[in-house]
Amino acid sequence: MADITIDKEEIDPQTKGSVIQSLSINQRRWRRFKSLKRGYYSLIILIVLYFISFFLPVLINNKPLYVSYKDKTYFPAFRDLGSSLPLLSYMIDKSFVAGEELGEVGNKGNANYRKIQESFDKDNSGTIVMPFYPYDPLEDISTDGNVAFLAPFEENTSGSMRILGTDDRGRDVLSRMSYGFQVSLSFALLLAFIEYVIGIIIGGTMGYWGGWFDVVMQRFKEIWSTLPMLFIIIIVVSITTPNFVLLVALVALTGWIGISSQMRAQFYREKARDYVAAAVSMGASTKSILFKHILPNSLVPVITYLPFTIVGSIGYLVSLDFLGFGLQPPTPSWGQMIGVGLQNLSKWWLVVVPMSAMAITLIMVVFIGEAIREAFDPRTFSRLR
Amino acid sequence: MLEYFIRRLLLTIPTFFGCTIVVFFIVTLAPGGPLEQQIRALRGIGAGEASGASSTGGSVIPESALLELKRYYGFDKPIYIQYLTWLGVYPRETESFIVEPETKRSVGNNKTIIVKKEDGSYIVYDGENQSQKSSDDWMIEPQKSETGEERVRVYQTGFSGILTFDFGKSYDYREPVINLISARIPVSFQFGFLGFVISYTVCIYLGIQKALRHNSAFDFATSTLVIVGYSIPGWALGAMLLVLLGGGSFFDVFPLGGMYSQDYSSLSLGEKIVDRMYHFVLPTLAYTIPSFAGLTMLMKNSLLDNLSQDYVRTAFAKGLREQRVIWVHAMRNSIIPITANIGYIIGIFLTSNYLIETVFNIDGIGKLSFSAIGSRDYPIVFSFTVISVIITLIGSIISDLALALVDPRIRFK
Repeated sequence: MADITIDKEEIDPQTKGSVIQSLSINQRRWRRFKSLKRGYYSLIILIVLYFISFFLPVLINNKPLYVSYKDKTYFPAFRDLGSSLPLLSYMIDKSFVAGEELGEVGNKGNANYRKIQESFDKDNSGTIVMPFYPYDPLEDISTDGNVAFLAPFEENTSGSMRILGTDDRGRDVLSRMSYGFQVSLSFALLLAFIEYVIGIIIGGTMGYWGGWFDVVMQRFKEIWSTLPMLFIIIIVVSITTPNFVLLVALVALTGWIGISSQMRAQFYREKARDYVAAAVSMGASTKSILFKHILPNSLVPVITYLPFTIVGSIGYLVSLDFLGFGLQPPTPSWGQMIGVGLQNLSKWWLVVVPMSAMAITLIMVVFIGEAIREAFDPRTFSRLR
Repeated sequence: MLEYFIRRLLLTIPTFFGCTIVVFFIVTLAPGGPLEQQIRALRGIGAGEASGASSTGGSVIPESALLELKRYYGFDKPIYIQYLTWLGVYPRETESFIVEPETKRSVGNNKTIIVKKEDGSYIVYDGENQSQKSSDDWMIEPQKSETGEERVRVYQTGFSGILTFDFGKSYDYREPVINLISARIPVSFQFGFLGFVISYTVCIYLGIQKALRHNSAFDFATSTLVIVGYSIPGWALGAMLLVLLGGGSFFDVFPLGGMYSQDYSSLSLGEKIVDRMYHFVLPTLAYTIPSFAGLTMLMKNSLLDNLSQDYVRTAFAKGLREQRVIWVHAMRNSIIPITANIGYIIGIFLTSNYLIETVFNIDGIGKLSFSAIGSRDYPIVFSFTVISVIITLIGSIISDLALALVDPRIRFK
């Protein structure tokens, strides 16, 4: 029996009849992207989660949204929110309200709001509104009431419980996991952006101008790619305290090479095409040939690689954190969490929670990648059976 | 063809030198090197924050000792000389002794020497037969001891370095690096080879099945599985496996790590093999599963591509059986892109596995080089770089060769 199976996509909307309005290429891509449901939904979920993650200080924080005590009002969580946002962080400091100001006797340090809440509840001396999940990723057993290795949903002596338990220092696992999500995804996005900008510029110039520049750069890239990145990162980390931007810059040092090779090949291919020759013969300027004609067409393959770059970047950060050469220790990060879990294998949630968070995030990114590939590079297979 | 590969091989030479120069300079110029660590150790500060400034004080350590240390590590010479020495094209100081003139001194190999001063210059004589000059070639360098007494440094030089396969001596282990590495190669190689074989067999088979049942439930389910495997870094997967199956919290099926059980030596041959395999399961899974996605998808897409080609249609039209069309006609062409990956995959399996080795506590090359990076054991770091550069370069040539073997249409020029 021989029947021919043809994918639906093979029938172009335009050929079906003039009733259907013709779609631009990007509209058709978007339509194909949406046709792969798991990718489409993953994109929506990830965007929403990432957006929410910027508001973590008002959702998961041990500081209250609102405190009113003796005619004074404070908004510590909102202040934290301001200090955590990218540019505002230079202007706003993290909130600090001494415990004494809120009626805690003898506490000159940061107020322990959960305790204050209890006392307010008893004597109605003030009002306090705590965030949805009142545990900070950084507070450890030095804060009253925190216990190390509390299992998920297990109650501690004072009767409070943590949804996903606590780690070896009594830090809340759910809280660390959530903040780790934001750190990981921000890292990956920023890294991908930098790598793409450098890779596209260098790859594009190599492919378009070719010649000796291309030959020299090819050798350079070959040598550059053998840089012992781990060694360099370890050295830099041992000299300075690594921060987010520095780490991105370090990883980007060699990260652009793969993208530049793609762009180079793509520019080589595209500049020999007829439409470029047409543009040249019509007297188009080099600038317009590069940016209006070749670049949009060359970007297609590198765009389809973007989600996989992000997967790689998150994996890289997690690995670095695991080895202890990533972000500075108290920063909540998945790699560090897994590292702690590996040292305490009997406490299963310490490995399972960050692993699941990472796996679910990465799987969603890969699903998006599949859908993007589907949108930009529709493969239609018809075969005889 | 042969000419192409010879040219490729020759082209690796400048790349090799370029890579090693870059790595050598970066590593050597980085602050907090072995010299500074030694000095810290001598001062008794211990391993603290590395800092370039604190090491140059020298107030506690006498100048001469510092010089001696620098000389020991070869840091007294300019960096390009250090590089050339490391390569083995600049003479390296081998046997070095500080002797008192007119005193007999043993220099190993049952030999003794004595240095005498004649007409203002020093001459090395045989220690036993003092009228005869020493048969070895000694270089002489007059020095002063700390108390100002006359001393003479006598040393021999030789050409030995990477190019003569002398990888140097580890600072930490005080053993030739070549011994350290060759003791660990079997371990890493076993995993690399096993992983390579498993991932190729599984992926090719899975890819074919997926292509033949394109868009089926099976296709969807396996895609999801390999994608999940791809998303998680191998070592993290290993950590998860340890918690689930390694007796962490749930099932105690597999060992926590290492290569053998404690009573390994008392086991019979059969039990030994079983014991080894038992220890191999989890690390091998961690090694191979992340690589499944790429290969499987490559295989699937390439077979799908070929199945929609005209020649397959022709083969069907001729009346060939489906099995023959798929396995003989389409497969031969579909395997080409898979082959192109071989060299690259070999490189991955042989070099980048320190994370998995750390998680499973396997004493392989990866773990050795990783700890060497931490403790600035330069000879090991350099040797590892050289090995991985060579494997990468050779790997890409192997890829081309394999490509030429499976695809007679490919002609390299």
